[in-house]
Amino acid sequence: MSGINALLMLPALLLLAATFLLPMVRYAWMSGHASSVVTGLMAIPNGGANWQRLLQDARFWQDAFQTLRFAITSVGLELVLGLSIALLLHQPRRGRGLLRAITLLPWALPTTVMALGWRWILNDPHGPINALIIRLGGDSYGFLITPSTTWLFTVLADVWKTTPFVALLLLAGLQSIPTDMVEALTLEGASRWQILRRLTLPLLMPFITLALLFRLAQALGVFDLIQILTRGGPAGSTESLAFYAYLNAMRFLDFGYSATVMLATFALLVLLSLGWILLQRVGSRRTA
Amino acid sequence: MRALLLIWSLAPLLWQLYTSFQPPEALVAPAGAAAAQWTLENYRQILAGDPPFWRYLLNSTVVGAATTVLTLLMAVPCAYGLQRQRGALRLGVTLALLAAALFPIVLLFLALLELARALGLANNLLALSLPYTALSLPLAVLVLRAAFAEMPQELEDAACLEGLNLPQRLRFVLLPLMTPAIASTAILVFLLSWNEYPIALTWISRSELLTLPIAMARISGSSLYSIPYGAYAAATVLGSVPLLLLVLVFQRSIVAGLTQGAVKG
Repeated sequence: MSGINALLMLPALLLLAATFLLPMVRYAWMSGHASSVVTGLMAIPNGGANWQRLLQDARFWQDAFQTLRFAITSVGLELVLGLSIALLLHQPRRGRGLLRAITLLPWALPTTVMALGWRWILNDPHGPINALIIRLGGDSYGFLITPSTTWLFTVLADVWKTTPFVALLLLAGLQSIPTDMVEALTLEGASRWQILRRLTLPLLMPFITLALLFRLAQALGVFDLIQILTRGGPAGSTESLAFYAYLNAMRFLDFGYSATVMLATFALLVLLSLGWILLQRVGSRRTA
Repeated sequence: MRALLLIWSLAPLLWQLYTSFQPPEALVAPAGAAAAQWTLENYRQILAGDPPFWRYLLNSTVVGAATTVLTLLMAVPCAYGLQRQRGALRLGVTLALLAAALFPIVLLFLALLELARALGLANNLLALSLPYTALSLPLAVLVLRAAFAEMPQELEDAACLEGLNLPQRLRFVLLPLMTPAIASTAILVFLLSWNEYPIALTWISRSELLTLPIAMARISGSSLYSIPYGAYAAATVLGSVPLLLLVLVFQRSIVAGLTQGAVKG
């Protein structure tokens, strides 16, 4: 009987292996080879030179820092905002379905579509925000051409687009909390803040972890948004690891090094996820 | 608070809508100079382009439909098998599916591009649905597995007694009862395929085969400063309308699908 189950799963698992596993194996092989325009696109084993280069590549480390900065800031904001929106949507009111649908809209649109939209909104000086600033008597601000602050606006665009997703996951979590527990605590005289901290948040933790892991993985691989909104600029200040890997392959035609950057990004992602799970374990043991 | 949420979600979209009806001069006029003039010129321009804009919508729809069908064909048996499976294999497959669902797509593009070149799959919309199916499978299987788990075992036992084989049990007994879950899965898969960017960007280069996201990116590729924002906004609006309708009509299914996959996955 078990053989039939395995057989039923086989086609899907084979396709998944070809799409997810095969590339990782291929990258591991490529990262051990020089394969670029210099070698005439032939793969020649180079004894770990790609990895040595990675360690000394200031651009890689700067991008790693910028990617982490982007991911941690946007995921943090998304969790806080997402939880607030989830709590808001959880209250029974008329028109809740419609409000939920409208909240969901930014998430459903292609990233490229709204990234260009944001580029227009943040345009200097013709976008609506700058138009408003000028009308109020201020000077227009170069949202997308100021190296010290442009990354904040990539965070803004990302938070706008993906908070609905976080909110929905957390809303599902809220709906799984039995209402009689909340009522019982209210009768005991617990304040709303106490209920949130002592009951809701602990019960919501699995959902928060899921949302966090999912969003962290996506944010560390941020690509569409950066490519359309800023092209990694100004002065490389918003370039992400995934965008750097893309440039290495498609612009510099250095496939061996591109594969190395991708593997390093993946390693970073795994480390951070494991770190969070470990932290959670320790935390829950302490409260238990 | 509710009003704030509405403004936050809708304002950027409404600004695109407004821009799409403005002539180019009005967009760069000094603030407060020109009174709003309304025009359909931007829409006329992108619909008369080469290829016309509706072509991209059609391409995305074709890929989305092919992906949805292929995903369901592979995910239903897989979900059924996974639900019936016990022991280490069940746990292993579930964890692998979760890991794949979290994986950032963009890290796959280089190896998949090599694969496409080796197999001659580049510039082929139907071939594009193969990697898209793989990207959709993890979520699809998790959602459908949760739905299979809710089917009472007695139902299938009864169907077995009546002599129905597995395909018949699926086709005539189980799947009809799972329509909501299947609808949720289909919509989520369609959305994912409609929005995917890095793989389409590297697989498709012929302009008449571009899907919507890459067509948008091409428009933006011209220059950082001289973008035809009016035409672009019109494209945004036309590209968003099918999704807006989808979300408004199927909101319940989308939420159910996302949460089912998450809660029970």
